[in-house]
Amino acid sequence: MTTPTRRGSATLGRILAMAGKEVLHIRRDIRTLYLALAMPVLMLVLFGFGISFDVDHLELAVVDQDRTDLSRALVRQVTASGEFVAIEDGTSPEAALQQLRRGHAAGVLLLPHGFAEDVQRGTAQVQLLVDGADGNTATQALAKAQALVEVASRQLLGAGAPVQAPPLEVRVRTLFNPDARSAMFLVPGLAAYLLAIVAVIITALTVAREWERGSMEQLFATPVGRLEIVVGKLLPYLGIGVLQVLLVLTVGAWVFDVPVRGSLVALGLGALLFLVGMLGQGLLISVVTRNQMVATQVATISSVLPSMLLSGFIFPIENLPLPLKVISTVIPARYFVSTLRGVLLRGNGLDVLWPQLLALALFAVFVLVLATRRFQRRLD
Amino acid sequence: MSAEAAVDVELKDVRRAFGATQALRGVSLAVHAGEVYGLVGPDGAGKTTSIRLMAGLLLPDAGQVRTLSEDPAAPRSHVRESLGLVPQRNTLYGDLSVEENLRFFARLFALSKEDFAERRARLLDITRLGRFTDRRADALSGGMYKKLALACALLHRPRVLLLDEPTNGVDPVSRRELWELLYGLVHEGMTLIVSTPYMDEAARCHRVGLLYAGELIAQGAPRELTRAHGVAASDFEAVFLALVEKHTGGRAA
Repeated sequence: MTTPTRRGSATLGRILAMAGKEVLHIRRDIRTLYLALAMPVLMLVLFGFGISFDVDHLELAVVDQDRTDLSRALVRQVTASGEFVAIEDGTSPEAALQQLRRGHAAGVLLLPHGFAEDVQRGTAQVQLLVDGADGNTATQALAKAQALVEVASRQLLGAGAPVQAPPLEVRVRTLFNPDARSAMFLVPGLAAYLLAIVAVIITALTVAREWERGSMEQLFATPVGRLEIVVGKLLPYLGIGVLQVLLVLTVGAWVFDVPVRGSLVALGLGALLFLVGMLGQGLLISVVTRNQMVATQVATISSVLPSMLLSGFIFPIENLPLPLKVISTVIPARYFVSTLRGVLLRGNGLDVLWPQLLALALFAVFVLVLATRRFQRRLD
Repeated sequence: MSAEAAVDVELKDVRRAFGATQALRGVSLAVHAGEVYGLVGPDGAGKTTSIRLMAGLLLPDAGQVRTLSEDPAAPRSHVRESLGLVPQRNTLYGDLSVEENLRFFARLFALSKEDFAERRARLLDITRLGRFTDRRADALSGGMYKKLALACALLHRPRVLLLDEPTNGVDPVSRRELWELLYGLVHEGMTLIVSTPYMDEAARCHRVGLLYAGELIAQGAPRELTRAHGVAASDFEAVFLALVEKHTGGRAA
């Protein structure tokens, strides 16, 4: 009679056999390793540099109709930081608007006739026109330009103009990312996005390959259980996933100066749970499709779109329409992006991030149970 | 093989369809321990479906399948520990070597190191694959590939071995070698169920079941069937064609 100990040891042996076989496949198919390790790093660097919401060196068409020392000083103040660059310095509003229409300028700063005199009277106004066709740039340009003009006017008016202090003053200080660098919040989101894609696609491909080549038939004729197949097949890819996380975080820190301020335990746990969930999703897709081409397509669509659009990676969850906001609650990338930003930027630990980790764990368990149940040891 | 030998594999009025296609239409057969049973028939007759049902890889729509007195498709069935399968397709891992394939399947059957070493040596010897242990499976010839598949299926010394068209795509010399190998296994007490579309291979079996369009149209010892039809023992094809004609009323002739 087979004892439980012997059964347990046989189970472990079969899981290791499956995992070992998978490692051999990976070693002999360098494309898998490339897809798993080189692609995320390459994409992280490309995306990290390519995607930026930072408003810097924006072209500003300046229309200085006043042509006084004060008006020129204001323009110098506004462009001194380098966030705005004056490309047009004329007196014709039409010419400046033409630059805006052609997309050569992101904004127009108009200083009207009599500006210096109005400043002395305390009734000066400047006009700022921004290109609303690019909403994000327009919003940021508007905020920055307003702040710069305000600061500049305070300094310029120090000479004696009657400046009234507002009854309430807000002093804004941006924490965790004081320079508001896009890379700081994009890299964690990008890491989740890339890991999701690679983990889901690789798993979907490798399991579907077993169906397509018929080796599942051979496996099912042996005593190997479906859970042993699932765990054995996923283990090597979990290892690769952990390597991916380390690589992506290293590149994030090295190339983009993204820090790790919080709990490494929360980070590790979050990454592990997220990867298990993504591998489970890939497995479920391959079990249902049993075809490499279809599996790749389904895996790509089901991982790329949600992890980009519904994870908070680019678009804040709060700004999503209600139906999408509801759907985003079942997207694991949402919780992993939140975990990464929490650990890397805000310095959070388990005490703060446990709800995100719980959500990741629930998704991982749900998808693995579903995949294992659908993964019948039969060919029909 | 004695007349009282236990029934190792049994199909009772088994039906199985794939969509609108009826693969098996009420097939009943019993294979005894130590017997070489041939499932003979043309492509699409239901041979692979029968083998897969016996291995528990498919569920019947109706009827009953028993392999070593168990339902082979039951989740907790132990039949697989005593069952060997050589599928029709090349289902081994092509990018793994002969040695790696053998080692992998030995681990799935939880063989000890000592048992594996002993059986590996014997199987490599009888299949003459000893010189090719480092060769990738997909670089083997058709005959050698089948021998490797057979070796992988025999590592755990199964009581019942199911072979789905094992000689398909194999040259005549390798075919003869494979059959010699199979006879050697029968002498060790193994039960063999072999499907084949080649009528000349029917004569090599103790008993055959002739499958046609999902129905078992005849069953018996090859010599009895040829004698009953008054043809030479080697002319099994004539028997098959006569039976098909009788079964279909001449429509398939």
